[in-house]
Amino acid sequence: MMQLVLCAVYLFTGALLLALPNLTRRGILFAVRVPENFRDGREGRRAIGEYRGIVGAVLLAGVTALLLSPPATIGIAAAVIPLVQLVAAGTAFYRQHKRLRRFSVRDAGPRQVEVTSAPERLPWYAWLGAGPFAILLAAALFLNANWERIPERFPVHWGATGQPDRWAERSVRGVYGPLIFGAELAAFFVVMALAAWYGSRRSRSRITMLGFTIAIQYMLGVLFAMIALQPLFQIPVWVIVIAPMGFLVPALLIAARKMSEPGQAADPTPEDCWKAGIIYYNPDDAVLFVERREGLGYTFNFANPASWALVGLLAAVILSGFFILA
Amino acid sequence: MTARAPSIRIDPASRVPAVRQIADSLRVLLVEGELEPGASLPSVRRLAIELGVHFNTVAEAYRQLAAEGWLDSKRGRGAVVVERPIPPANHSRIEDFRGRLRTLVAQMRSEGMSTGRIAAELRAMAEGMTR
Repeated sequence: MMQLVLCAVYLFTGALLLALPNLTRRGILFAVRVPENFRDGREGRRAIGEYRGIVGAVLLAGVTALLLSPPATIGIAAAVIPLVQLVAAGTAFYRQHKRLRRFSVRDAGPRQVEVTSAPERLPWYAWLGAGPFAILLAAALFLNANWERIPERFPVHWGATGQPDRWAERSVRGVYGPLIFGAELAAFFVVMALAAWYGSRRSRSRITMLGFTIAIQYMLGVLFAMIALQPLFQIPVWVIVIAPMGFLVPALLIAARKMSEPGQAADPTPEDCWKAGIIYYNPDDAVLFVERREGLGYTFNFANPASWALVGLLAAVILSGFFILA
Repeated sequence: MTARAPSIRIDPASRVPAVRQIADSLRVLLVEGELEPGASLPSVRRLAIELGVHFNTVAEAYRQLAAEGWLDSKRGRGAVVVERPIPPANHSRIEDFRGRLRTLVAQMRSEGMSTGRIAAELRAMAEGMTR
């Protein structure tokens, strides 16, 4: 069973990597600004075909290796195969990025902006960001009310074979730890959503990304609530592993469709300020978040000191997770 | 229906420095009366983000316009358009203007624009600038 679950996760990430050239605006291909119809031309199709050929071959080989792995080596296979997949996709992407740079449109054109002092109001649905905290709080209240039903010792981690390999005791940290960490992550996404809203240029994609961030928050809220309730309900591990995809797939599809709507100009970032198409560093641009070029979403302008504060905050959240969930 | 806010435009590929492009574009809006006394300008931070320039570039453009008497730009209050008395025309500035205009008119004549059309364009532009 766990082999099938691992295959499903691996196929999901593989499908995402295969779709990567389509998860950008039409004027961007392999993180290079190109003419809008470039991807339909000979060079564009060739670049996408070559990239997908490599990613598809590695995906197929990985699925075969996962299915044929004996139980004794499944743990190693589950760690190594996705790593190979990411390295192969990253290399294939960068190769096409380098090749397409000679077709890049270097001049982003004039920038026109409205001279308005209207306040930057968040859309009404930003309040939905409070929902995941309510889910986590409800789970905490339920656990508190059913404290006596929680086993003295329960599994909290499962190996690649699906067998538990770490246990926790019925203590405040053991029971509420996943909820606290989930709340920390959800709070971090609130901070990111606000920073992205106020620190990026006005555009329709800014609105789309706010919705996407709230969807991720819900995914985290539900996921960590399920993990916390596991000792009471013995939720199958495969449900906990597969559930995030139920949030991610529709959210990604909606975001991809919105981003590819015609009439939306790409973020006018200078070509020379992108390193390998993924890192934006422009000290002459006041912006904190810019649209990513290699996929959906936003990335930092690493020349803005606030970006490092947010990276530091993320590191602190992850480190606290080691302590809370240990 | 809300009225569309006036807009400015800068070209990052231009040889003209961004600070001058911003100050020039805003000055056109101020002279044409699209930005009236009492109107608030966007914060330095917001305009710099939207234009993709450094904070200092926008702050310097605001400072230049404040020095010309167009804006009241006090720290923490943002920039506000103020009523500005029309200063007396300076002789050397008129000479400078005439020189630049001569170059521009000659260029348009050489590109085939009639003298009548040039005169009409100039008149319409001057009359459209209310301040």
